[in-house]
Amino acid sequence: MNLDDEELSSQIRQHASRYKAPDGLRAGIRAQIALAEAGRASRPRRRWFDFGSLSFAGFGWRTASVSFAFGLACAMLVVPVVQRWNFNESLDTELVGDHVRAMGAGPLIEVVSTDRHTVKPWFQGRIDYAPPVFDFATDGFPLKGGRLEHVRGNAVATLAYKRDLHNIDVFVWPSDAKTLPVHTIYRGFNVLHWADGSMQYWVVSDVESAELERFAQLWRAQTAKQ
Amino acid sequence: MSNRQAFETLVVPHLDAAYNLARWLLRSDQAAEDAVQDASLRAFRYIESLRGADARPWLLGIVRNTCFTALERTRSGPQHVEFDETEFEAALGEAERSEADPATRLDRQRTRVQIDAAIRALSPPLREVIVLRELEELEYAQIAKIIAVPIGTVMSRLSRARERLRTILSQMKLGE
Repeated sequence: MNLDDEELSSQIRQHASRYKAPDGLRAGIRAQIALAEAGRASRPRRRWFDFGSLSFAGFGWRTASVSFAFGLACAMLVVPVVQRWNFNESLDTELVGDHVRAMGAGPLIEVVSTDRHTVKPWFQGRIDYAPPVFDFATDGFPLKGGRLEHVRGNAVATLAYKRDLHNIDVFVWPSDAKTLPVHTIYRGFNVLHWADGSMQYWVVSDVESAELERFAQLWRAQTAKQ
Repeated sequence: MSNRQAFETLVVPHLDAAYNLARWLLRSDQAAEDAVQDASLRAFRYIESLRGADARPWLLGIVRNTCFTALERTRSGPQHVEFDETEFEAALGEAERSEADPATRLDRQRTRVQIDAAIRALSPPLREVIVLRELEELEYAQIAKIIAVPIGTVMSRLSRARERLRTILSQMKLGE
């Protein structure tokens, strides 16, 4: 039995709009892939969508060396930025310290809510800027709440997320700079930092770096939309 | 072949199809670009899992999952209605306006506006099967795999979608 309605089908095929990917999108994707390749390292992979049979082979040395080369290339791109911001090095230390202290002594969360519409207003009157707040529960990074941290004498909005059993802290404060994410490791904690021209973000967690990068990706996709 | 080369040869040629699907599902240029970008990165991360399989349905599967996640997050897509009344009214208005415009009074143009409006008025699950079947010309089995439902469901959705389209289009003809 032929289920297709020939007349309707040919009408649709002939007349319906077919959208073409804009060139800017292709360029953006290529840049993103280059970045992703720069950031990738051998690591266990998790399947998070089902399509046929998935299996992940380990990476050979060749892939590792290509990754290294890309990493180096990207590092060379960001070195001038990092040099301009050389105070950041010790900021890593300070923020990791805040993260660890909050997990140990608390409070990890001062406003407990998985609703970003509760968390965002909580900061009003406590700080003089409005940090973006997102919930990525559907992507496996549920929002748990927020708190204030005092970093170098300034009150800084801090958002708490979970990834399985790991805590992720996002420190947000204003900045005019625009930088790509820079990944550092301090005492085993992964630290990702970037700025989008309105805010700068420091993400600190003991979750594996690939996961943290994915988190940053989600975050950046959301801020880009605003 | 490096993963990046693999991505370039296997995935990049299907970015138009990916964008077309995302654009139809999300009904906005910006949202579609975001979804395709996100889906491409996932495709890149998992490119080794492809292993010689046809890349187009594989990529479209990732794209549609990304789109439906986006739809759920923003709740911009009324997923449980078969037919979006407000969208339809807006589309009718659009069709009328374009008829009034002498530059676009060509029959062909009007048909395109009507067909587009009719497809847009479908709920995302119905719109998705129409785009995959009619615009991307995929087999039932491929569509079933992409949206992870049995073939029978694909067929019943297609027939419901077509029925809706026929109704919408005939209503539009009456309105002329």
